[in-house]
Amino acid sequence: MSATLVLILRRLGSAAVTLLLVSMVVFAISSLLPGDAASETLGQSATPEAVAALRAQLGLNEPAHLRYLHWLAGLVTGDPGRSMANNLPVREIIAGRLPKSLLLAGLTAAVAVPVALAIGIFSAMYRGSRLDRALNVMTLSMVAAPEFLVATVAVLVFAVKLRWLPSLTLAPEHPTLGELLRAYALPVMTLCFVIIAQMARMTRAAVIDQLTQPYVEMAALKGVRPARVALIHALPNAIGPIVNAVALSLSYLLGGAIIVETIFNYPGIASLMVDAVTSRDMPLLQACAMIFCTAYLLLVLVADVCAILANPRLRHP
Amino acid sequence: MPPDLSRRGLLGGLAEVGALSAAGGILALPGSAQAAPRRGGRIRVASVSSSNADTLDPAKGALSTDYVRHYMVYSGLTQFDAALRPQPALAETIESRDRILWRIKLRKGVRFHDGSPLTADDVIYSLLRHKDPGLGSKVKSIAAQILSAERGGPGEVLVRLAQANADLPTILATSHFLIVKNGVRDFRTGNGAGPFRCTVFKPGVRTVAVRNADYWKPGAPYLDAVELIGIPDEVSRVNALLSGDVQLINAVNPRSTRRIGATGRHGLQETRSGLYTDLIVRQDRAPTGSPAFTEAMKHLLDRELIRKALFRGYATVANDHPIPPGNPYYLQGLPQRVYDPERAKFLLRRAGLLGVRMPLYASPAAEGSVDMASILQEAAANIGLNLAVNRVPSDGYWSNHWMKHPLTFGNTNPRPTADLLFSLFFKSDADWNESGWRNARFDQLLMAARGEADEARRKQMYGDMQVLVHDQGGVGIPVFISGLDAFDRRLKGFGSIPIGGLMGYSFAEYVWWDA
Amino acid sequence: MTEAPLSSLGDIQARPPRAGGPRLPQLSLSGWIGLALVVFWTLVAVFGPFLAPYRVGAIVADDVFEPFSARHLLGSDYLGRDVLSRMLSGARYTVGLALAAALLASSTGAALALFAVVSGRWIDELVSRLMDAMISIPSKIFALVMVAAFGSSIPLLLLIAAVTYVPGAYRIARSLAVGLNQMEYVQVARARGEGRLYIATAEILPNMINPMLADFGLRFVFVVLLLSGMSFLGLGVQPPHADLGSLVRENTSGLGDGALAILAPAVAIATLTIGVNLLIDSLPRRRRRSGGEA
Repeated sequence: MSATLVLILRRLGSAAVTLLLVSMVVFAISSLLPGDAASETLGQSATPEAVAALRAQLGLNEPAHLRYLHWLAGLVTGDPGRSMANNLPVREIIAGRLPKSLLLAGLTAAVAVPVALAIGIFSAMYRGSRLDRALNVMTLSMVAAPEFLVATVAVLVFAVKLRWLPSLTLAPEHPTLGELLRAYALPVMTLCFVIIAQMARMTRAAVIDQLTQPYVEMAALKGVRPARVALIHALPNAIGPIVNAVALSLSYLLGGAIIVETIFNYPGIASLMVDAVTSRDMPLLQACAMIFCTAYLLLVLVADVCAILANPRLRHP
Repeated sequence: MPPDLSRRGLLGGLAEVGALSAAGGILALPGSAQAAPRRGGRIRVASVSSSNADTLDPAKGALSTDYVRHYMVYSGLTQFDAALRPQPALAETIESRDRILWRIKLRKGVRFHDGSPLTADDVIYSLLRHKDPGLGSKVKSIAAQILSAERGGPGEVLVRLAQANADLPTILATSHFLIVKNGVRDFRTGNGAGPFRCTVFKPGVRTVAVRNADYWKPGAPYLDAVELIGIPDEVSRVNALLSGDVQLINAVNPRSTRRIGATGRHGLQETRSGLYTDLIVRQDRAPTGSPAFTEAMKHLLDRELIRKALFRGYATVANDHPIPPGNPYYLQGLPQRVYDPERAKFLLRRAGLLGVRMPLYASPAAEGSVDMASILQEAAANIGLNLAVNRVPSDGYWSNHWMKHPLTFGNTNPRPTADLLFSLFFKSDADWNESGWRNARFDQLLMAARGEADEARRKQMYGDMQVLVHDQGGVGIPVFISGLDAFDRRLKGFGSIPIGGLMGYSFAEYVWWDA
Repeated sequence: MTEAPLSSLGDIQARPPRAGGPRLPQLSLSGWIGLALVVFWTLVAVFGPFLAPYRVGAIVADDVFEPFSARHLLGSDYLGRDVLSRMLSGARYTVGLALAAALLASSTGAALALFAVVSGRWIDELVSRLMDAMISIPSKIFALVMVAAFGSSIPLLLLIAAVTYVPGAYRIARSLAVGLNQMEYVQVARARGEGRLYIATAEILPNMINPMLADFGLRFVFVVLLLSGMSFLGLGVQPPHADLGSLVRENTSGLGDGALAILAPAVAIATLTIGVNLLIDSLPRRRRRSGGEA
């Protein structure tokens, strides 16, 4: 277990470095953007004097590096600032959106991970068979279809034609389980299309990698049933690469869900970040970037811890 | 009725037929032809966009979703009727002898949603706050002509303008001039005197408003509640309507009309308005500033093709000036400029500009401009002019590209008066004089028309201005784009107010649910 | 049942190259299908624009979303343009951009990984954290910012796609390189006093090429998908041209009518990405040296 602890401590240190890097990168690339919050707020009605006045109001006349340092100081003391677009506290805006994103991501993960693992393990067990090839082409076709097309076709079939499911994901405040499943069925399905393929392919490759190791081939020769070979002998050693692939795929679910959020009118955090970009709302943009980065680092950490815990060699040194 | 309102009303009546005429078999009848309204019901409405920048502050309204929200929650001093004539609302009368000093008499017994009565101070605050540069009002430049607003007699406000303007009652009907409570700065919850009370407002997520039982119009509104959301993707918006998840949408793509009409359960409302997307040919740059180049570009706009291919017929061919056919000041008989590549080629060759390569900036921010640019590019290529289309993202387009390059596209929402259109977009010193066009004669006519008391002479002046803009102006206006709304047929009383879609954004107080 | 999975191993396992004769690749059936698709799309990308019956921006059909006809083999699009011509001209953007971006991403990722691994702990840590930082910025939002800042152009789209996928390639390459770096022959070379450059290029790199190739195939698919995702946000190749993803996107209003204008480019994307992966999956591969995730 001490290996896990050391890992976590080291990760906490480097996480701080990574977050700092992200904030600098985001600040650097967003300062490349033409216009600022003042000109975007005024839009077509921006006149030079109106922009100047609003700029002063929003504190945009400060030099860029000072604005960054102010923001950083605020973040360290726990205050991510106020949105420049609507003057609400960033914390409040995020608090309304983050749980929604997490719920969508969680539901998607709950469906996608078991399905992907099942597909990956099955195709590995029966590699080269027709089933394997069919699953291979199926997962590839799933990932090859543009996300917006999958979502739109799904809405067309299940909401417009069959009228089984709603076309928008307007989750009521305190939904029953049935309402929840109905509301989320289509967006979850769309996101599954996107991430299942990658996870399944990585699982297949990792399991095959183990299945071709001498110790597993030996077990198979001794007459152990293939399912047992795959699940008991190969899988635990393949967990490392698999959880890493799973972590990478799941990290897509927060920031990458922008298309699904747009089509299903779902108020998640990815569309919030796009709004922040288009309105040049620096504090909000930074806050979103910090959240995506934290989520990613957490996922990678969990993946590595899982890998250590699942690997018998590391558990019993 | 005060003299000014009735005078404008009479004139506006001439335009009614044109503005309301409906085309196509599945278009809805105007609301007046339907049965008596009934109370109750709750609908969900999806507009084009909704973002974290959504606002409850009327001064900052930027998108259709904002305007709808504002007209639900607030009332104005005046409001538009179906012919864009200003009708009295919170103001019982608006009078002026010289069109400079206006006396506004407020309706009695009007209450804000918090129960406080409407006072002259609320009106004065609502009008003057636009002049504060720190507020970021969208109509700051229009409000600049208000010199002062002060209390008159009991329940009266006196407004003094910088120069005569007969259109003040019309200007006051636009959503930015809706009346808010005196001194309010926090717009998290809207406190207005409008037909609905805002109960939920989450920027970029949704707005829920419930019926205001104390609304100053007896009996209205009819719906119990309206939920307003934004669905930016058009296909998704139509799907939401067809699946029954929303009951009313705006900005329908003409290509979707077939699907919507096929259900039999949905109606379509075309609003012929003055909305246009124009090609801007900067007059203060070379080579676009040469009259030959400008005229050639206008001749290269294939208006019929744009109307048919791009808008599937839901548009009206325009004639390179901003006054739509429904406007009372529209000049009949001005010869239509047509697609004439040979003439364009001749002009360009004479100017020695054939074969040059010109960048052309278009953006989804200006409706239809990317496809218009493609059509123009194709026409130009056929005569040997190389236009390189530069599609740029919506965000940042208005501040960084619009009017900044020799060839760009602009997009102008309907304005209620000819004076506003000309003063905002064509006057030599206007901030949004898109093409940098300078014409002293035009400016003189504009100022004279604004204070002109004689209607016939005023109309003559606006006619002359249309000729000047058509002949010499630096913009090519190919078509006026119709707004298309679609709705569940159980929604009754829906019609068109040609300042914009969704009944000029104010459907909420007129419609009812019949199910 | 026991034999079935094991006997099929031959399909995937490396086979020794045949002695003598022309060196035809040893491919399974699906490999041949993949190769055929890849060759087909390469030819379309190279020669497509010359075969297009109409100009890419010309409005030639009477109606929008026309079905198959002799004049318009793939019907017409949302403006009445010829879909076949648009696809023939658009394929080169998708194929070319995806190929170039995936190559750039994989090679940059590998080079950075080698540099980090042979340069010692601190540089390794710094580069790795920078890559983590980049990977956690959502790719479509990064694209949005870059296009807003610099305007959409082919080199910029290429750069966006490449930068987006460098960190992923880096992660894979680094985990391979870390493992190889511990190998005896590398340690021997180091003891021999070889320079870092030599160790990286002559000892480590040759042994990572195969797995990096497989990774390259997935990157290729991801770039194609990123491009079509970007078209949803209105970013992409300048009109009148369009990559395959944009063709799907701009014709979505024809989906309800099942228009060819949307089906054809969607099928094109699918066959292209499936082809590339079938081909790479069936390439003979060497047994991977133990790498281990770091």
